[in-house]
Amino acid sequence: MRSAPHIAHNAPQLGTTVADPDADRLRQLAHSIEHAAHLLPSQGPITVFVHHNTLHAFEDLPFEEGLREGVRILGCEPFLTEDQYREYLVSGRIRHDDLSAVLQEDLGDGAGMMLGFLGTRFSLRMAMLEHPLRSASSAELQWAVAESDAMRRFLGFVHGPTKVRTIAETRHWVMRDLRNENGGHSPRLDRVKTHAQDLFALFGRATVERWSESTWESFCLHLLWRICLDGARRNDGRAPCRRNVPLRHAALIERVTGESCDAPVNDLMIRFCAAYLDQGFANWRLPHRDQGFFRSFAGLFGRAGSLPDRWARGLVRELRRIEKARITPLESIDESLRLLGVDESERDAFVLATLHALPGWAGMIWQMETNAEWTMFPAARGSLVEFLAVRLILDRLAAAYAARRSIGFAGDPADLRAAFADRIPATDGFGPAQRAFLVFQLAQVRGWLPSEIHALPDRQWDQLLAETESFDAFERRRILHRAYERRYRNQALDAVATHAGRRRPWAHESSSNRERAEVWSGFPRIARGEPDASAESENPSVQVICCIDDREESFRRHLEEVDPRCETFGAAGFFGVAMYYRGASDAHHRPLCPVIIKPKHYVNELVAFTFVKEHKRRADTRRVLGEASHRFHQGSRTFLGGALTALGGTLASIPMVARILVPRATAQVRTLLAGLVRPPVVTQLTIERREGDPGPDDPHLGYSIDEIAMIVERLLRDVGLNDRFAPIVVLFGHGSSSLNNPHESAYNCGACSGGRGGPNARAFAEMANDPRVRDLLRSRGLGIPAETTFVGGYHNTCDDSVTFFDLDRLPTKHRSRFERICDAIDEARRRNAHERCRRFESAPLTLTAEAALRHVEGRAEDLSQARPEYNHATNALVLVGRRWWSRNLFLDRRAFLQSYDPDHDPDHEILTRVLSAVIPVCAGISLEYYFSCVDVKVLGCGSKLPHNIASLLGVMEGAASDLRPGLSQQMIEIHEPMRALFVVETTPEGMLAVMDRNPVIGRLCRNGWVQLAVIDTVTDQIRVFQDGEFRAYRVRSDAMPSVRSSSEWYRGWRDHLGFAVIEEPQPS
Amino acid sequence: MTAQSITQVLGTCIVAAPAALLAALGIPSLFGEPLRERAAVRWIHGVMAVGLLSAVAMLAVMLNAGQTLVEIRIGDWVGIETEHFHFHVAFIFDRLSVPFVILIYVLCGTIGKFTSRYLHRDRGFNRFCVFFAFFTLGMVVSSLAGTIEVLFLGWELVGLSSALLVAFFHLRSNPVRNGLRVWGVYRIADAAFLIAALMMHHMTGGGDFTGLMGTDAWPSGHATIASEQALIVGLLLLLAASGKSALVPFSGWLPRAMEGPTPSSAVFYGALSVHLGAFLLMRVSPMLDLSMGLRIAVIGLGLLTAVYSAITERVQTDVKSALAFASLTQVGLIVAEIGLGLDYVALIHMIGHACLRTLQLLRAPTLLRDYHMLENAIGARLTHGPSFWERIVPDRFRAWFYAVASNRGHLDSAIDDYVTAPFRAVFRWCDAMEHRWTRFLSGGEPSSGTAEGPVD
Repeated sequence: MRSAPHIAHNAPQLGTTVADPDADRLRQLAHSIEHAAHLLPSQGPITVFVHHNTLHAFEDLPFEEGLREGVRILGCEPFLTEDQYREYLVSGRIRHDDLSAVLQEDLGDGAGMMLGFLGTRFSLRMAMLEHPLRSASSAELQWAVAESDAMRRFLGFVHGPTKVRTIAETRHWVMRDLRNENGGHSPRLDRVKTHAQDLFALFGRATVERWSESTWESFCLHLLWRICLDGARRNDGRAPCRRNVPLRHAALIERVTGESCDAPVNDLMIRFCAAYLDQGFANWRLPHRDQGFFRSFAGLFGRAGSLPDRWARGLVRELRRIEKARITPLESIDESLRLLGVDESERDAFVLATLHALPGWAGMIWQMETNAEWTMFPAARGSLVEFLAVRLILDRLAAAYAARRSIGFAGDPADLRAAFADRIPATDGFGPAQRAFLVFQLAQVRGWLPSEIHALPDRQWDQLLAETESFDAFERRRILHRAYERRYRNQALDAVATHAGRRRPWAHESSSNRERAEVWSGFPRIARGEPDASAESENPSVQVICCIDDREESFRRHLEEVDPRCETFGAAGFFGVAMYYRGASDAHHRPLCPVIIKPKHYVNELVAFTFVKEHKRRADTRRVLGEASHRFHQGSRTFLGGALTALGGTLASIPMVARILVPRATAQVRTLLAGLVRPPVVTQLTIERREGDPGPDDPHLGYSIDEIAMIVERLLRDVGLNDRFAPIVVLFGHGSSSLNNPHESAYNCGACSGGRGGPNARAFAEMANDPRVRDLLRSRGLGIPAETTFVGGYHNTCDDSVTFFDLDRLPTKHRSRFERICDAIDEARRRNAHERCRRFESAPLTLTAEAALRHVEGRAEDLSQARPEYNHATNALVLVGRRWWSRNLFLDRRAFLQSYDPDHDPDHEILTRVLSAVIPVCAGISLEYYFSCVDVKVLGCGSKLPHNIASLLGVMEGAASDLRPGLSQQMIEIHEPMRALFVVETTPEGMLAVMDRNPVIGRLCRNGWVQLAVIDTVTDQIRVFQDGEFRAYRVRSDAMPSVRSSSEWYRGWRDHLGFAVIEEPQPS
Repeated sequence: MTAQSITQVLGTCIVAAPAALLAALGIPSLFGEPLRERAAVRWIHGVMAVGLLSAVAMLAVMLNAGQTLVEIRIGDWVGIETEHFHFHVAFIFDRLSVPFVILIYVLCGTIGKFTSRYLHRDRGFNRFCVFFAFFTLGMVVSSLAGTIEVLFLGWELVGLSSALLVAFFHLRSNPVRNGLRVWGVYRIADAAFLIAALMMHHMTGGGDFTGLMGTDAWPSGHATIASEQALIVGLLLLLAASGKSALVPFSGWLPRAMEGPTPSSAVFYGALSVHLGAFLLMRVSPMLDLSMGLRIAVIGLGLLTAVYSAITERVQTDVKSALAFASLTQVGLIVAEIGLGLDYVALIHMIGHACLRTLQLLRAPTLLRDYHMLENAIGARLTHGPSFWERIVPDRFRAWFYAVASNRGHLDSAIDDYVTAPFRAVFRWCDAMEHRWTRFLSGGEPSSGTAEGPVD
């Protein structure tokens, strides 16, 4: 059997049956199912939410091709709506310059092609882009022609003089050639004359010489419409009319009868899938779940006693037959496809379409069988195949039932589609009327006269129809979107180039490393201004390493504003410490590192020895309370338990009302009470491994000293922190806590697999403080001064709180210095909260910084808050390079910032390492936001308001629906869907080398799923990656507003803001 | 000011507050100029505060004065003395309605506050607020109703707003389909209610509960009609109550109602409107004394519903359906308690259950976090050990139970097959006849617009 595929491939050509054709077909079928599975949503359980490209499956194609496939296969929207883009065109978010530049670029040499008097292709397309030309179904069109203003008034946006001229010329033509018999003769002209006679009758022949302007306007439009319609009809044969026949039976039946026979099948499948995948929510487990999807389904619905719904009456018989004949699920799929009359050539598409009837559940089954061994109840291998088998059996029954009921069809199900396809109205779709309507509107806009259009030779009609049709809605939106992206890209690149250029001059004062290094943080003048500039004042007061996350951009900026001598860095928020972590009060280990890494090391948090007894007591209390609470909630849903709890249920109104009326105060009380049972604050991490290989149990927990040194060295070298250490280096992991938010994990650190990065920062600080590690590092050329201390911290991006770890180990000499740092950080987080609040409509724009902090604290604890924070919304930019050229640039929380020093990386090894995390992660975030934003109904998860957690795995909309991956309406509402723009500080060669070395990066960049530019900071020349090469970017405008502080720029405004420079404080 | 006039003022406030809210939100919407979000929120908060304070004050005054029954009449609208027929609008405040109206204000007020943030910026914000005002008014009116017509008025407002809220997200098909289903069930309940009201009028000459149940304050009233009459009216009211409270066989609509925004599901289907049927039965509970048959029917239906939904709840895998069936279990029990004559127990049970369930439903989206916290506290995965049930019932039967429960007892398909289908068949037939008739009248021209046959 092993070699069967080769033989089988030849078999049809030879015309002999060398191999078993059945086996070959089944193999082919299994293959197409597997292929289809990769096109399903790839979001796993929602508790570990990882942002990824929603159309990941199409990354092999160029971006726009990928979108086209997405539209074809998933039926999603690829871009914003045309209306939306046109609004942007009006508001100036998209500029006409950009639009024409993009169109010019897209058409290339074809732009100037003349289409007779119709103008150039460029101008034709530009007209179609600028004006909202409508298309409509036949019925709607009929209505528009008969009832609306379409035949009375020119389109509102037609240029005035164009309209006047068209009417005047037409009037002249009518009076000269059409009113009398002396206009000459040709079949076409005769036809126009007939129309004219009709219209004369309609508008009043006798009064024709006294007709008002508006009568002539209407006459002109009527005539134009008839001429366009004639033209389109005459040329109908040449450009074939499209008629869409849906592939699946259910869709076809729905198209014809308007009734969905998928709905009852979906209902049943949703219930069953949820039960099959349930991670322990329901009290009763699905019987025979361990025997797989198909068997447990058969066990449930294939028994005599079960009374299925009317449409599924044959189900019991069918399931029994399959069981008796020992048909495998794959064979059953094969059989169902045959019974449904699906041709072998259609199979791939049909399987795909069937799985996409419930893409969310199908995708989750696939994730649970391939990628979820860590969950409590993963699905057995082959579940998706069995899912499909069941689905097809149900589809067969439902289609046969619906066909019988709606049109009395009782023949062979294989012929069902043919029977229905004949009933699809031919007018459905894009026909001559639609084409004519488009030309009709274009003629008004462009001022084409009826006399010209009527005389248009057939060849040009062909061309016109082909032109208008080839520039369809997708194409128009594609161009509009490019212009939309281009606008932001140019603004961003202008800002970066200009800002870098302005900050650079100091760098040229001297080429010595020391002085140039001073410039990084931008405070050399202060240092010089101080009379007793000691060694300490030359070095930064504190260095802060944050996650690259866009939410930390503002935090870092404010910190730098508060303390100009502070220096900040950005690095992936797991800080190179990939581990399974288990906190003192956690039940399990949880991975804290990017999903692409599988950690080998385990770290536990242990309570300090002094407190062990206390800890045990509290843990016991917690367990008792936890069990009681679990019992209570379980019990409240049962018969007697429910009655007992309900009798005392009035008490439940107290916490309920309190939490909703005063969320922040209630949270404080809760925290106070929880403090009684929380594990003691003094804890330790098991960083250093005592013996053997890494493992989850005691002597194997942690890392060896060598591994630790490697981790520390790697991070410091990645961010370019090689020398000039400040006395204190703070690392901030980040996370977010919010209530009533099934997507909570999505708000956490992406570099920690949707976990909170505090433990990583803490672990790193402890590692870097170890003297043995420092010795090792010194031997490798990385000398960390003995007085430098690392401190780990955690930044909660929702309530903007900051906590530090292991402060009891802070050397006493650093105490006062650390106090000053804390003050600066406190001020920075207040300002950060203030900047964030401008985006929240429920926070007044007049809030003070202190009130803003209280506001965000309230948000995090509010049960009724659907937007605890905006997460990555508005992200657009990724800067990779040294901080000095982006420092003091207002980036509006839209930029991921990764620190990287090209000077210490001659062969781009560090760059490759850094980008192999940064590009996939940031592209994943950006693209998930992009797709959820352009189509929140199909690719996003809709509104958060009706979300319903199913099987502890994901959310449904309302009572029962498909499982909804992606982001919600509330998360993306302020987002601007654009591909992330990467600006990397390196050479074009360096970047190309990275693309070659890492295929994932190569694919994303070359196929345009991200926008890419490199910056040379010596010349501030930016080169943009386009069509496989880096092209020099010309700065359009170097004007940049300059402000004294961030708040001076952002205050009083909710919308997106442009770039601005924050002035350095002048030395006094 | 006498206690009399104080109670009159307070009583009017309690009823007028939600009516004012509805006017304030609804009238501008009618003119296409809906209130801004902030103004709407202010109205809701203000009205809820006024209503709640008045209701609490009412309770205090009545306790203080030792009154157990206050009646407020708003005019006699129709009075045909010769036929002993009269129709007036009256509201009664007694030991049943005052606690219930306080509950309504507490829950609606909380939800109003919740909604102002939860639905913030939603396109349907104003629509939700208007439905919410309708609902509150309906609940207040039906809980205080002194006559069966007034109760019917409130009952209808609740039904209308509930169905519209189920279909709140009308751009998707499921909410609309389920909203229609809820509406359909409510129609059946309403029809039964209306017939019962007519019969009451016929028997006692008016719709006053005092006329039917005597002038003693609830629950010590005693009915004055014949046993058979009580049985018939009672059964009709029981049918009405089972439609509204999703008792068997109408239970299918309750989980389907979880389509709207979470707060509406919480307060309406988890807490208030699902109890309205039980409230109706409580209101007419003295009638149960008259007929043993009626009493048995009420107890039986209540217990049946409780058992049915307790079993069905066990297999639900999504949090909202599970809570819906959990709610239903308790509603069934409450109905059974009413049947048993435990009026006070039923009232306490109802109020406690409404509060608890609202909290649980509001917290439903926090489920994952709660599970995580509990797991950490307990230090292990949350599993259900083999329950009592699993230990005693053999595997084969359990699978059967599971199948039935997973199909929700086939109640919906039974209704579809045995109620809806015959109805549809009749109306389809009428439709066909009408077509034939019009064709005949129009001289044999083919009628257009039928789904049958190719359009082409």
